[in-house]
Amino acid sequence: MKPVPFDYYAPRTVEEAARLLAEAAGGAAVLAGGQTLLPLLNLRMSQPLVLVDITRIPELKGIREAEGGLWVGAATTQNELLESPLTARLLPALARAVRHVGHHATRNRGTVGGSIALGEPAAELPATAVALGAEVETYSPRGRRRIPAREFYLAPYATVLEGDELVTGIRFPPWPAEHRPLFAELARRPGDFALVGVVGALAVAEGRVERAGLAWFAMGPTPVVARRAETLLQGAALADWDPAAVVEAALADTAPFDDHHASGEYRRAVGGRLLARALEEALGRREAA
Amino acid sequence: MSEHQIHLRINGLSWSGAVEARQSLADFLRERAGCTGVHLGCEHGVCGACTVVVDGRAVRSCLMLAVQAGGSEVVTAEGLAAPDGTLHPVQQALLEEHGLQCGFCTPGIVTTLAALTAPGRTPSEEELLAALSGNLCRCTGYQGIRRAVRRLARAVREVAS
Amino acid sequence: MKREPLQAAAVVAERPQAPVAPARTARYVGRRVPRKEDPRLLTGHGRYVDDVVVPGMFHVAFARSPVARGRIRRLETRPAREVEGVQAVFTQADLDRFPTTLVSFFFQPPDVPITPLARDRVVYAGEPVALVVATSRAVAEDAASLVEIEIDEEPPVVTLEDARHGPPVHPEKPDNINAELGDEEPDPELAAILDSAPLRLRHRVVHQRICQSPMETRGIVACPEGRDELTLYVTCQSPHLVARWVATALHLPETAVRVIAKDVGGGFGLKNHPWKEEVAVILAARLLGRPLKWIEDRYENLTTANQAREQEMTLDLAFDAEGRLLGAFGDYHLNVGAHPQLSECNVAVHMFLWPAYHLPRYGFISRGWYTNTVGYAAYRGPWAMESLIRETALDRAARRLGLDPVEIRRRNLVRRSELPVTTCLGMPVDDISPAECLERLLEYLDVAAFRREQEEARRAGRYLGLGIATYVEPTGAAGEMPVMTGELAQLRVDPTGQVVATLSTHSQGHGTATTMAQLIAEHLGARYEEVVVFEGDSSRGGFSPGAAGSRQAVVAGGAVILAAERLADRIRRIAAHLLGGEPNQVVLEEGRARLGERSLSFAEIAQVAYGEPKRLPPGMEPGLEVQHRYQPPPVTFSSAANACVVEVDTATGFVRILRWIVAEDCGVEINPAVVEGQVAGGLAQSIGMALLEEVVFDERGNVTTPTYKDYLLPTIFDVPEIEFLHVGIPSKAVGGMRGVGEGGAIIGTPTLVNAIADALAPFGELPVELPLTPPKLLAFIEGRSYAPRRRVAGDAASPGAAGEPAPVPARAEGGRRPGGGAARRGGRRLGHGDRHPHGGPADDRPLRDGRGTAFGLARKSRGAGRVRRRRRGKPVALRPGRGKARQDDPEVRPPGGGRRDLGQGQTGPARPGAGDRAAPVRATPDSAPARASARSAP
Repeated sequence: MKPVPFDYYAPRTVEEAARLLAEAAGGAAVLAGGQTLLPLLNLRMSQPLVLVDITRIPELKGIREAEGGLWVGAATTQNELLESPLTARLLPALARAVRHVGHHATRNRGTVGGSIALGEPAAELPATAVALGAEVETYSPRGRRRIPAREFYLAPYATVLEGDELVTGIRFPPWPAEHRPLFAELARRPGDFALVGVVGALAVAEGRVERAGLAWFAMGPTPVVARRAETLLQGAALADWDPAAVVEAALADTAPFDDHHASGEYRRAVGGRLLARALEEALGRREAA
Repeated sequence: MSEHQIHLRINGLSWSGAVEARQSLADFLRERAGCTGVHLGCEHGVCGACTVVVDGRAVRSCLMLAVQAGGSEVVTAEGLAAPDGTLHPVQQALLEEHGLQCGFCTPGIVTTLAALTAPGRTPSEEELLAALSGNLCRCTGYQGIRRAVRRLARAVREVAS
Repeated sequence: MKREPLQAAAVVAERPQAPVAPARTARYVGRRVPRKEDPRLLTGHGRYVDDVVVPGMFHVAFARSPVARGRIRRLETRPAREVEGVQAVFTQADLDRFPTTLVSFFFQPPDVPITPLARDRVVYAGEPVALVVATSRAVAEDAASLVEIEIDEEPPVVTLEDARHGPPVHPEKPDNINAELGDEEPDPELAAILDSAPLRLRHRVVHQRICQSPMETRGIVACPEGRDELTLYVTCQSPHLVARWVATALHLPETAVRVIAKDVGGGFGLKNHPWKEEVAVILAARLLGRPLKWIEDRYENLTTANQAREQEMTLDLAFDAEGRLLGAFGDYHLNVGAHPQLSECNVAVHMFLWPAYHLPRYGFISRGWYTNTVGYAAYRGPWAMESLIRETALDRAARRLGLDPVEIRRRNLVRRSELPVTTCLGMPVDDISPAECLERLLEYLDVAAFRREQEEARRAGRYLGLGIATYVEPTGAAGEMPVMTGELAQLRVDPTGQVVATLSTHSQGHGTATTMAQLIAEHLGARYEEVVVFEGDSSRGGFSPGAAGSRQAVVAGGAVILAAERLADRIRRIAAHLLGGEPNQVVLEEGRARLGERSLSFAEIAQVAYGEPKRLPPGMEPGLEVQHRYQPPPVTFSSAANACVVEVDTATGFVRILRWIVAEDCGVEINPAVVEGQVAGGLAQSIGMALLEEVVFDERGNVTTPTYKDYLLPTIFDVPEIEFLHVGIPSKAVGGMRGVGEGGAIIGTPTLVNAIADALAPFGELPVELPLTPPKLLAFIEGRSYAPRRRVAGDAASPGAAGEPAPVPARAEGGRRPGGGAARRGGRRLGHGDRHPHGGPADDRPLRDGRGTAFGLARKSRGAGRVRRRRRGKPVALRPGRGKARQDDPEVRPPGGGRRDLGQGQTGPARPGAGDRAAPVRATPDSAPARASARSAP
C-alpha cells in the first residue's frame, strides 16, 4: 500500500500555495494533517500529481479570540484546539466535538481546516461549524472570502471551494457566556465515524431560548442544519416547550444514508433519541438548578 | 517524483539525506533509518502499530510523509530504554503486567504511552485508555495493557504530587 | 552409557526414574514470571518477516482479479514490464514450469486443481493473476496497476444460498459441494425421539465470515540459494510444518528447505501454512534466482487472505419435561469459498457438540459449499459452532421450561464422578471437568443476587442480562492425524553452564520461550535466568506442527519435562561420580548439583563433560546433551465455565459488558499470566465475533469491508476486565497441563450471546445471527424485521432496506480533499478508477457518496449477468469419514464406524433448515454477462 509518485511542495505563504494549486490545474491535493489524505494515498484511492503541504504556512496556525468569538487557523491541529483553554471557555460544544475526532494520535496531526474542508458527512467538526454559525475563511488568487459554513457544503466531500482556493481559518461567532452546549454522538467504537451525531448551542435568557444552532452529522450527504428545529426552539420558553415536536422537526431536515454499519432508518430512530436526551440535558439542567 | 533533502534527529542521532516525496515516515524509519520496531499494521491509520513520537507528540508514522519530518525530533520504541538497557517506565510496566503477546502492536502502544506520560504530564487513567482506543491489539484482550495503564497513571500522579 | 533413544515408544511408562532426593517445591511452575521475549519486543527489537533484509532482494506486488467469477479473456503484462525498476512480471504460464500441489494442513491434495496464480478462470475477487517483481514495493505496485486483465465476468456464487442453487463454482464439478458427511434426515429412532419429545426445539445459528486478522499480515522472503537450497523467512505458526508443506507442495524432496520465523505477529490459524501468494513468490524467486520479499498489506489481508467461520447450523433438539436432553439432529453448512485451504465440512463441530453433556442420540448432516469467495482457513477453535449452538440452545430451552440456565446445565452436564463416558458418537471421554468449573463459577458469582438486580433494573427500564456457558475443548491432539505429532525437545548444558533448549515450539505471542524455560528450570534444577530457548527455525529440532490445536503446553511441555529429567539424571550421575556419592543423593537446585555439603555448578560439570571426558563415570559418553520426543495421550481436554453480565441500551441497541468471569480448568498452569493472556485474547476475539467483526460481500462478490474502519476489531473499550478462577485439575499428560490456546475464542461468543438474549428476553427469543450489531438488536427490540442486505455499492436505497428509503444523497463530483485542494478523479492517473492497483475491484464512483464505507471503498455493481436458477435433484452421496476425520483424508470412515447410505434422489432444499431463509433478492438484469476490465486507461 504505497502512494503513487507525486511532487511535494511546502510553501510558506498562502499566495504560493494557491499558485501551486492553480498551476497543477486540478492535479494537486492539499496536504494538511494528512489523516484522511494519507490513507487515501496509501490505498491509491487518491492519485494526485502534486501535494501542497500547507502546514508550514505560519498564517494558518493559531487559536485566537476574535470579534468576540473564536478564530482557528486552518493548520491548527485538532489536539491544539482540544487543549486550548479558549475552546472550552468560549465554545464548550466545540471542545466536546473535537474530543471525538479520530484518536489521540491522529488528532496530533489532523487539522481543523482539513476536517472542515474535507466535508466528511459523518465528521464532527463540519457539523459543529455549521451548527454554531461559523464562517470558513479562504484564500485564492482572486482574493479572500468568508463563506458561511451553512453554505459551504454541497455533497459528500464536495464544497464550494474553487480548485485553487484554500481554507485559511474558521471563524466561530460569539455565543453568550452562559449558553448551553449540546453534543451527542453514537459510534461503534471510540474514534470511529459517527453512526449518528448532533451538535449545537442554545443561548438562553430570561427563561427563553434566544438563539439556537443545531446540526446533525452522519444524517445526510453533508452536515445537516436542523433548521425547522432551530425555528421551533427560537423563542421557546424553557418552562413550556415541546421536546417531541423539536425532535420531529429536527429529523424532518435529515436524509440519513445506509451503510453496512447502520441503515438510514436506524440513524433516524436513534438520532431522535440522542437529540431528545441531549436537549433535556442542555435545557433541563438549568431548570433543575 | 520530487526528492527532498531532509535533516532530522532519530532517537537522539542525526540523520541527513534525500527522501522520495511519496515515502511515508514509517517506511523511511524502517528502511532508511533501521528502526524496524516501527510496525506497519494497516497503513491507513487505524491500528496504531506504527505510532512514533514526533516533537513530543504521538503520531501515526504511516500517515506522515518522511519529508514532513524534516527538522523534527523523532523517537521510536528503540529510543526509549536507557543505554544500559534499563527499560523506560512504560516498557517496564508492560513487561511486569504481561501487556504483550506477539509484540507487533507493542511499539505503538509503548510510544503512545511514553509521549503521554512524558515528564511534566499527568494524564489520568481514563485519558490514557482513551488514547489507546486507537491502538489495536489482537492477542492480549488488553488485560495487561489496562493494568499497565493503571500503574502508569498512578505513577505519574505520585511523581506530580 | 547407552545412547539416549531418539524416540520414546511409550508415554508415561518410559519416564526416567524420579529422583529419590528430597522433593522440591515448585519454584518456577505456576509463577507469573516476566516473559523472556518481552525486553526485545518492548524495545522494538523483534524480528518479524518484514524486518528481514537480504542482499539483492527485490519486492513483489500482485495484480489481482477485479471480479469474482469469469474467464480471463486477455492478460497483458507489457506495460507493467516497461516501468522503470521492474525486474519481471510473471503469470501462471511462467509458474507452470514448476508443478505445484497446494496441499492442505493434512498434506492432502485439493479437491479441485489450485494454481498459485489464476490461469484461465478467476474464482474470487482479488485472486492473484500476475506477480510483479521490482526494486521497491512502491514500484511493484505502480507496475501491478498497469497489468491489463480483461475478464468475461459471470454472475458469482457468493452466499451459502447461492451455492445451493447457483451454477458450480468449478465447472468440472457437478455442484458446489466441497465435502459432506452424515445423514440427510434423522434415523427412525432419533426421529421418534424428536417427534415424541415433551419439548422439541429447533434452534438456528448464523455465523458471519471472519478475518483472522493478525496484526502482522502474511509475508515471505524467499531466498533461492542455488539449485539445492531454499531459505524462507515466512510468518507462520510452525517453521517445521511450513518446510514440510513447501517441500510437499512444490515437489522438492531433494531441495534443502529451511524456514525461519523468529517473531510472528499473531497467526490464529491463518498462518498454519502458506498459500497461493507465498507459493507464487517462492516460484518467482526460483525463476529469477533472486531473493524476493512480499508483505501482504492490510487491504489484501482483509480481502484476499483466506477467511473463516461463515456457517449456518440448525439443531433440532428433544428435551424431557425436566429439561434433560433426549436427542438431537444437527444440520450444518459451511461456506468454504472457492479454494479452501482444506476440503472441509467441519465434522469436528458434531464430534465436540456433546462430550460435556449427556445426550443419548445424535445425528447430523454436514456440508462444505464452494462459493466465489476467498477460501476457507482455520481460525482459533474452528469447530466453535458446537459451543455456540449448544449453549445458546440450552438457554433457549431453559427459558421455554422456566428453568434457570444454571439448572438446565446441572441436569445435563457430565460430572467427573461419572467418568469415563462414551459420547453418542462413540468418542471416549475420561478426563473433563465442565460441571466442576461451573460449580466453581457459582461459588464466586451470586446468580440469585444478580436476578434480583436484573428484576429491579427492568422495572427501571434497564435491561441487564447474565450469560453462562460451559464447554470442553480437545487440546494437545497427537497421534491420530498424520500432521498432529508429538514433540521433540533437545536440551543441553553448554560448557558455560547455560541451559539451552532447541525446540520446535513456535510462538506467535504464546510465550513458549518463557513457559518452556520455566518447565526446564523446574525439572532440571536450573536457574530460570540461565535457561535459553531457541525456536523458530526448521533446521533445528524435529518435526512438529507448532502452534495448532492448543497443543504446545501439553505436547512440548511434556517433551521438555522428560528431556530435563533425562538431563538431570545424567548431571546427577556425573556429580555423584566427581563428588563421591550416589546419584540419588544429588540434589539439583539453582544451577548447582549438591551432595551433602559439597556442590558443583552446572558449568563445572559441563566443563568435565565436554572437555575432560576421562573424568566422567566409566562408559558415559561426553557432553551434556539429551533429546526426547514425547507422545502424549491422543487428546487432552480442557474445560471451562464462563459468565458475563451485560446491559443492553434499548434505545440504541448498544451492548455494554459489565463483568466477565472465567472458571477455567487447563490443568497445571506453567505461567498463570500466560494462561490468562491466552484466554483473554480468545475472549476478545469472541467479543469481536459476537458484536463487531464481519466480512461483508456485495452481490458481485466484492468484500466491502476492506479496511480497519470497516472491519471492526475490538478496542480496549470493547473488552472488559476479566476475572479469572483457576480450577487446575492436572491432566494425564506429563506435567499435567491442558491446552488453553483456543478456548476463549470458542466459549466467549455463546457466553455473550446468552447474556444479550437474557437481557432481551422480555422482547422475545433473540435470533442468533452474528454479529449482534446495534441496528440488528434495535430492530429485534422494536419488533421489526432486520434484513441484512448484501449491499450493492452504487445502488442507492436498495431493496431490503427496512423502512422507507431515505432520499438519495447527491453524488459528489470531484470531491475535495483536506485543506480545500482539488485532487480529483480525472487526473492523470485516475483513468483506471479508484482501485487498489494491485488488488480489488475497479470502481468509478466518488470516494464516498454518503453511503460508502469509511474510506469510500464500497464497490459499485456493474453488469452482473443473469443468474440461472435451477433446482437440483442430485443424489447426495456420502463421503466417508471417521471420528475427527478431515474430509481430505482418503482413509477416513464414518463416525461410529458404520457405513450409511443416503437415499438417492433427495433434493437439497428438502432438508430441515434449508427453507428457513427466503431466497435473497438479486439483481438479474437481462444482459449478457458483462465484460469487466481492470485495464488501466490508455
